[in-house]
Order: sequence, then structure tokens, then C-alpha cells
Amino acid sequence: MYQQDSPAAIQGRLPLLAAFILFVLLVLFVRLWYLQAVKGDYYQEQAENNRIRSVKLRPPRGIIYDRTGRPLVENVLTFDISLVPEDAPDLDAAIEKLSAIVKINPDAIRWALEDAAFVRSKYDPIKIQEEAPWDKVAVVEAHQDNLPGAIIEPEHRRHYPYAGLASHQLGYIGKVTPAQRKREQADLGLLTGQSGLEKIYDKLLKGTAGRRMIQVNAAGRKVKDLGIEEPKPGMDIYLTIDLDVQKAAEEALGDRAGAVVAMDPNSGEILALASHPTYDPNLFPRGISPKDWKRLMNEPTHPLYNRAIQSVYPPGSIFKIITSLAGLESGVINPDEKVTCRGSLKSGRRSFRCWKKGGHGSVSFHQALVESCDVYFYTMGARIGFDRIAEYAKQLGFGSLTGIPLPDEKQGLVPTTEWKKKRTGEPWYPGDTYINSIGQGFLQVSPIQACQMISLVANGGHFYRPMLLKQTRNRETGEVNVFSSNHTNRTTLDPAALQKVRDALAGVVAEPGGTGQRAATPFATVAGKTGTSQVIAQKIAGQKLVGKQRDHAWFVAYAPVDKPKIAVAVLVEHGGQGGAAAAPVAKKVIEEFMKNADPKMVR
Amino acid sequence: MLTRRWFANLPWGMVGLICAIALIGLAAVYSATYTSRGPGPLYYKQLVWISLGLIVMFLAIIPDYHTVGRYAYVLYALSLVLLFLVMVMGKTGMGAQRWLAVGPFAFQPSEFAKLALTLALARFFAEDPKQGGYELKDLAIPGLMVLVPLVLVLRQPDLGTAIMLLLTSSLIVMLAGIRFRSVLILLVAGAVVAALVFAVSPVREKLWGSLKPYQQNRIKAFIDPSSDPLGTGYHANQSKIAVGSGQITGKGFRKGTQSQMAFLPEHHTDFIFSVISEEHGFLGSAFVIILYLVLLLTGVDTARNAKDRMGALMAGGIVSMIALYVFINVGMTVGLVPVVGVPLPLVSYGGTSIITTFLALGILLNIKARRFMLFY
Repeated sequence: MYQQDSPAAIQGRLPLLAAFILFVLLVLFVRLWYLQAVKGDYYQEQAENNRIRSVKLRPPRGIIYDRTGRPLVENVLTFDISLVPEDAPDLDAAIEKLSAIVKINPDAIRWALEDAAFVRSKYDPIKIQEEAPWDKVAVVEAHQDNLPGAIIEPEHRRHYPYAGLASHQLGYIGKVTPAQRKREQADLGLLTGQSGLEKIYDKLLKGTAGRRMIQVNAAGRKVKDLGIEEPKPGMDIYLTIDLDVQKAAEEALGDRAGAVVAMDPNSGEILALASHPTYDPNLFPRGISPKDWKRLMNEPTHPLYNRAIQSVYPPGSIFKIITSLAGLESGVINPDEKVTCRGSLKSGRRSFRCWKKGGHGSVSFHQALVESCDVYFYTMGARIGFDRIAEYAKQLGFGSLTGIPLPDEKQGLVPTTEWKKKRTGEPWYPGDTYINSIGQGFLQVSPIQACQMISLVANGGHFYRPMLLKQTRNRETGEVNVFSSNHTNRTTLDPAALQKVRDALAGVVAEPGGTGQRAATPFATVAGKTGTSQVIAQKIAGQKLVGKQRDHAWFVAYAPVDKPKIAVAVLVEHGGQGGAAAAPVAKKVIEEFMKNADPKMVR
Repeated sequence: MLTRRWFANLPWGMVGLICAIALIGLAAVYSATYTSRGPGPLYYKQLVWISLGLIVMFLAIIPDYHTVGRYAYVLYALSLVLLFLVMVMGKTGMGAQRWLAVGPFAFQPSEFAKLALTLALARFFAEDPKQGGYELKDLAIPGLMVLVPLVLVLRQPDLGTAIMLLLTSSLIVMLAGIRFRSVLILLVAGAVVAALVFAVSPVREKLWGSLKPYQQNRIKAFIDPSSDPLGTGYHANQSKIAVGSGQITGKGFRKGTQSQMAFLPEHHTDFIFSVISEEHGFLGSAFVIILYLVLLLTGVDTARNAKDRMGALMAGGIVSMIALYVFINVGMTVGLVPVVGVPLPLVSYGGTSIITTFLALGILLNIKARRFMLFY
């Protein structure tokens, strides 16, 4: 044991510790006596009157503007009829009275209470009728004394003035889901972004809740205001979208299903992004009715789908741009060499057709791309080898996400011989090379990827992450935060090869025999490429394809030719020929954009 | 070891006292967390914590307390590591990083650190006796032992626990024996620092600025509760109303308007005593205070009967720690002490606090059970 291990010295001091303990506990004892016995009546009265209630003040959600400052969404002040069950001494009677006045089934009110019971805290109001009509709001206000617990809650609700316009980017807001409630400690009944930009930028848009402390009487009515913590409104955000260009794109699509993406090839700013059919986001903020939801989900055209980023299609002849670049850069394509097209190419027992039945005759590279000769690209594709073409396709962004800040982008597919072996167990046949070289077969591309590809051709290989958020503005301080473009990558393209392709693309629109002449416009020189992606692999001779069997029409373009300011991709589902169905849409978009070519930003 | 005799020798009266306090606490948690759908989930969790705590307490009686003493430095080092981990990867709650996620549980190392520090100091002073009391230079090492966890806890920032660490260690040093002259020097030094802090405005502002806004508000609200009746003064005010309105007999179990109407924040943790006072009145709250008093004085008696310095210091340290927690927590709910956020031992909801307190009491029982034994 230790030396001098006698506890005596310590134990001699223990009475002091005991005295200390006695003293402090005695202090508490006296204090309790003072509070509870001496001042008990006073505090009892305080407790009686202590009906201080903290009322959540919801912040107005940030407004979403287009790039020129025109609002794409609005906040509308509405009134909800709610019930605070703790303020109704006789809940059943209160429910009966309320149901008689607002004409709601009392059981519906009970269900609402039941539903909320698990998640609400005490004194949280439960919404009985949202966006109540004026007459009912007035009646509830007037009968306050007869309706214990019933209150009117003002709420800012989202309104989308253009209904379906740009609905897929804007998204919509809805009630918080239980999972979100838990994760973000959001309060009951809060409306948060559930899709599109409303969801992606929810943190910016939602603001911070405030609260008001009020003193209420026994019936829960306000007696006195005690203080207020103002809510902080959400940030206003300015999109890169130009409302005019967006409108032009949507009008040009009309009631056809399809997508349009227009972006600034020098920054990646998305100028328009349309997907048809659209849906009305105004259906959601009030809580979409099961009937509407079913209708949207079961609609065969899938209006909730954002076709611009979530649907992938075979690229058709727009893929010839990539086959061309691969051939020219690798030296396989000699621009002067002519290939004779007699309307089809025989390979073994199979015959691969050119879209032009009579054939193009003897064509060089330039003419082949301008007139979109399939036989020429079958021939060249076979010489280059598809794996090499696939390399170029990947280099130009096919098969990977563009990174646009919208949910659920699809990455599409660039097949390789190895991929086919793994996927199907079958070897890569020469026929696969033929049809994939002209963009049919296994290739899958989304409209945003097509737009990025043509933008790379326009800007010489600069990848910019597609961008939708131009700037934010703090509504209280006016402070503006401008987002700059995000240059993510640079792919090296042989300038000589690129120039030859660009010349041909200009020819597609400008030269006689070009497949994209219907994109020509007096407002700017346009370079582009048509595409027609087959839905049914081989046509039965003489049979006209209708409806769901018709081909998808593609057109990708940029303008002006010498100094590109806009890149566009158009896809019309089952639209038929790219030159006939898609090129005019691109033309409208380019015209609208060029009309006010230098869109000024509003600060 | 676990013979019938050993079993019979256990201080059952003290065990009964501990259980009584824990059960009163459990009932208060039940009342405070009751929902319209029946008892809340926290009540069941607390039930589990108390059961685990009892097991821990009995386990702590089994080994000789010298064995506990032998591992005191290891436990202390472990608590430092845990505090450090909190700083690096802790969960944040209420503006401070205090919790470590252990699977689904949140573990609060600062709670554990207070016990580990107490044991480590007890061992240090037990092994290093000084005739006539410790001088300042003798206190360099224990001072450092206090300072390291203190700084780590302050960094979280958890002012309440930091103050508790400081107060508990001071009591242990007093018990261990410090020269009167050293006390004087420390007091003078403290006074000089305090004067500097209050009189020299750059120093004051620097220090004041280093506090989190919620801590500044708490101090402001303590000095002048009416300055912010909706913010931090709100806690203290509402708690006082809850306690006072309980009057002599209380409003009845689950009938406390203050606690049931959720005017009182944190009413199942730091302000649990207000719930007891409101619902059971002066009779109830005084009864709880008396239970603590008996428990603590039994603890002092345990220290007095301990056979060696180690036992006496450990028992004294544990008693000091619990006494301070009771005083600061209850003092806070009755408006005598600023709101610093420390739990009421055995009563407040919280796994780490409950289990640490049971562990501490287990060691105390251990010392008491071995008062008649011979060690050599």
C-alpha cells in the first residue's frame, strides 16, 4: 500500500462537505418554499394567464423569374380554415358547429385531426379547408366566439401563371412528405418543392420561418401581441431561360409530343427547355386530387416526364456528325473520295437501305452529310469501325450525364462491341456497324445531350455544365449573387475536320438538296443536321406508317454560323422526317432568339 | 466473491434510495412526454436507460474499488479521446457539438468525462499525499488534468459542463487538502482576472465575443430576465411560473398546465424538476430534495468510513459531483442560477447521464460495502 495511506486528514474535512451539502440544499428548500408557498398564488395566477402561444409565420417563397426579370411563378395570398383542438373544450360540439358553417362532413374533420395527431405538436393548427372561399372565411371570422378553436390562417400559395409553360423545369410544390418532415424538421402543412427547380433550389426559395408570440384567452383568441420574429422571405431566383424563346419553342411544338433544348454554346446557359405534353403545376400546391394524379400517371403520353432530359431516343442521322468527325480525324474519310449510292447497300444476304429510294448517285463527303446519304455512312462506318466511332460519341458527351441541375437525368447509351457481347451474348455483326453508324440500332440519346453535342461542334469542344440558375436576389437586402458558367471540360477536336463538318452543316440548311432547308431564316445563318430515328426497324415496302409507328424527328442546329450564339436540339416523337417536322421548330426558336439577340439582364 | 454474505452486506438502504429517486424521475418523464396517443417513446427509452443503469451499478460493485482506481487514468484518457472525437465528428444539436453517434444512439462524452475526471483526480491525490496540504506547485499536474477536458468541453461549446468540471474539481482539491495560502493566492489571482475581464474593455469584449450568441443571451437574461421574455429569459420565467404555480400540493400527475402545454421547453431533460414541482407542489419537490439530501449525506458517511485515502477521495468526489449537479440544476429551475443546461442526476431524461450517474453510485456503494473489509 501507499505510504501515509491514512484517510484521517481527508475525513477530517468531510464534515465541511456535509455542511456544504446541507447548506446548498437548504437554500433550494427555502427557495422552493418561497416560490411555491409564499408566492404560490401569484404564480398560480401567472400560469392561469399564461396562455402564450407561438404562432409560426411562414415566409413567402422566392419568386422564379426568367432571365429578363419576368416572373414565371407567383405567390398568392390565400386563407385556410384550421382548427386547434386544444382550444375547444368540447371538441365534438366544436366539430359539429364548424362542419355546419363550412359545410364539411364532420367525419372529414375528424379524419384530418386523426391524421395529424401523430405528427403535430400541441397547439399546432390543423387545416380543415385550404384556400377557403371568401364567404366561408368571413363566416368563420364573424362567428369566432361560437367556434372555439377555429382559426383563419393566411398562407402564400404558389401560382404558375403560364400553367404548363416550362412546367418540367419549374416543377411544383406540395405538402412535405413524412420523410422530409423528419429530415428537415419542417412543420406540418409546409409546402416544399417536390419536383424540378422548385425541388432542386428549395433551400434558396423557402426562406426562414418566423414566429409571433401572442397571449390568448381560454378560447384561444388573441388578447395581446407580445413580440414578433419576422420571417425571412426566400431568395428570388433568375433563370437563364428566356420566356420568349421558351414560348416560341412550346408553340412550335404545339400539341405534338417532344422536346426542345436551346442553350448558349458559349456558357451552357439554357435559354429554353421544353417538354411536351406539359402538365399544370397549379394542380399540386393544394395537394393534387387522387383523380388528377391518376389521370397524369395513366396518360399514355406521360406528361410528367421531362422528355428533354429523361427520355432517350436513337439519334438517327444527327449521329452522322459524330461518324464524320471520327472518319475525318482518323483519316479514314477522304473528303474528295466519292461513294456511289444506289439506294441500298448489300452485305451478305441483307440489304441496307438509304432513306432516298432512288439513291444519291456518286457523293463526296460534303454532299453525303448535306443530303444525309445513308449508304455513304454505312460504307465509312464499316471502314472506321464502330468502337472508334463510339469513342468519339463518348468524347462528345453521349452516354454520360450533362449535369443539368434537374432531377433524374438519363444518361442514354453508346454501344460498343464489348457491350453487345456482355449484354446479349451475341457478337457484333457488320450490320450493327452499319445501322449504328447512321444513328439507329442501340444508340440512345436524350435531347439535352443532342443539344450539348451540337453546342460542342459550335464552340469547338468546350463543355459547359448546362445551367439554369443565372442569379439569386435577396428580397430584403437587394443583394444579388450572379452565378458564372461552369466550364467543365475541353475535348480536342481536329480543327480541319471540324471545319469540314461545320461547312456541311451550314450546307444542310443553305444548299439545294440539303435536308434541313426548312430551318433557314432571314434572321441568321443556320447550321444544322436532321435526324429521323426509326421506331420500326425495317419498313414494309409501300406501307405508310401511322401514329405510334412513325419515326421520331430530330433536328440539331446552331446559329449564326460564323459566331454561334445559340445551339438548339429538337425532338418530335413520331413526327416523321426530321427535316419536315423538327427543322421548322428549330427555326422558330432561333428566330425568336435572334430578334432580341442581346438579352439584357435585369438586376 | 458473490457469496450470500457479500450480498447481505450490500447497503440496501442506499440502493432503495437510489431506486426511489430514479422512479420519481421516470414518472416525471412519463408525464412530460405523454402524448394524446399514450406514453411517448422517450418514456420507454428512459425505462431502458434506467434498467441498464441499474445493471451497470451492480456490476460496478463487484470489483474491488482499488481496481477501479487502477483504471482511473485509462478511463480518463478514454474520455479525452471521446471528447476529441466529438470535436472531429460529433453530431450537432442546439448549436453545439456534444453527441457521438453510436449506431442509433447518441452518446454524450462530456457526461462521461465528469466521472472519469473525478476518479482520476481521486487517484492522483490518493497516491500523492502531502503533509499539511498541497501547495500551488503540487497542483500543476492535477490542474492540467482538469484543463484538458475543460478546454475540449468549452470548444463544443458546453459552458454548463465546463463549469461543472471546474466546480467539482475544486471541491475535490479542497477535500484532498490545500494550504490556506494557496487558496488565498488562487482567490486573488481569480479576482485579478475577473477584474481584468470586467474593467479592461478590450479583454472583456474579446471574451464576450468568444461566447456563442445563445450563451450571451442566457447570461444577459439571468442578469435581467425581463430583457428578453420571449427568448432565453423565457425558459427561466416559464420554469419559475411552473414551480410557483404548483403551490403546496401541486396540480396533480399529468395535470401541470405549464409542462403539459409545452410552455416549458426541454421539460423532460434539463427542466424535469419543474414538472415535478408543478405537478406535486412543495410537498413533492421538497420530498425529492430530502431524498437527495439523505443520499448525499450517506455518501459523505461512506467517505468517512472508508479505509484509505483512495476510498475517501473517490466517495467524496462522487458525492461532490452529484451534489453540485443537483444544486445547479434545481437552482436553474427555480431561478437561482443561470440556465446552463446540466441534467438532474437520476431524473433528467438522457442515456449517458443516467448510466454515468448509476456507475458513479455503483462505485460509491462499492466503497461502502467494503468499509469493514481488510485489504492487506
